[in-house]
Amino acid sequence: MTDGLRSLTDLDRIIHEPARLLILTILSGVVSADFLFLQRETGLTKGNLSAHLSRLEETGYVRIEKTFKGKLPLTICKLTAAGQKALAKYRQQVQEFMKKTADAN
Amino acid sequence: MEQNFTEIKRRVRHYWFKDGIGEISVGGLLTALAIYFAGHRALPPVSNAPLYLDLGLAFIFILGIAFTRRLILIFKTRITYPRTGYVEYRMESVSSLPVRIGIFIAIAAFILLLIMIGRWVGSFQWVPALLGGLIGVIAFGVNKLAAGLERFVYHAVLSLVLGIGFSVSGLPPQYGLSLYYLVLGVWLIGWGGRILKKYLRENPLPERGADD
Repeated sequence: MTDGLRSLTDLDRIIHEPARLLILTILSGVVSADFLFLQRETGLTKGNLSAHLSRLEETGYVRIEKTFKGKLPLTICKLTAAGQKALAKYRQQVQEFMKKTADAN
Repeated sequence: MEQNFTEIKRRVRHYWFKDGIGEISVGGLLTALAIYFAGHRALPPVSNAPLYLDLGLAFIFILGIAFTRRLILIFKTRITYPRTGYVEYRMESVSSLPVRIGIFIAIAAFILLLIMIGRWVGSFQWVPALLGGLIGVIAFGVNKLAAGLERFVYHAVLSLVLGIGFSVSGLPPQYGLSLYYLVLGVWLIGWGGRILKKYLRENPLPERGADD
């Protein structure tokens, strides 16, 4: 197995899950987004999204705050600095892997 | 994969324009400017009122932009966020006070420059064309690049055509300017209204329970 392929095993498994990767990518483009927006954009069910967000919050990649916008109750999600760093690292690893496999072919 | 990242971020930027509220509000601002210039023309030229109005234009313009932004957020809080969710964009966090003051000074300087050029050449004849180009290419062009929405190309082309059209129309300059703002404002209100109607039809208010 080449180094390029082996580098895949170093990928952050928390981020590598497609739904969580999608959530982090959406959050990386904004300051914050609420639960409803994330649900609509990801197409996940409430329970599924909630589980993924909890996982991301546990690892410190996402911060979740309950707040109000006017009278509207909101569950606001923000990407943390650790989350940004981890996502950037993940993207870099995948890019390097793609480049190495393309070079090998 | 990078294409997917870019596409997802672009979709998130689309969201700001999804409800047409921005276009309705900007259309309202332009219509108000049309009324301002029509009123300006109606004032007796011998009085100092037109000069004061000229000098006050920079403040009216900047206050108008600030008010429009506030209005957009109020409408979004009432209409959009309960239906399709809340998003805070990065732009708000980077707009620090020095940047805001810088933008204020730049806009004020630009408007005063327009006024000075107008007084110097004794005519505002080409101001609609200049504004048509600026609003069309800069404002709508930047939005087209950021969000990739085709409708901004139509707005940009219309802005340019109207600007040049009213400049060469032979109308008294401030009527030309007033009509430029009026037609573009009404166009944006109409276009935004159509998008808002479609948005409301496609996105009824969901029953909001606990999120988790």
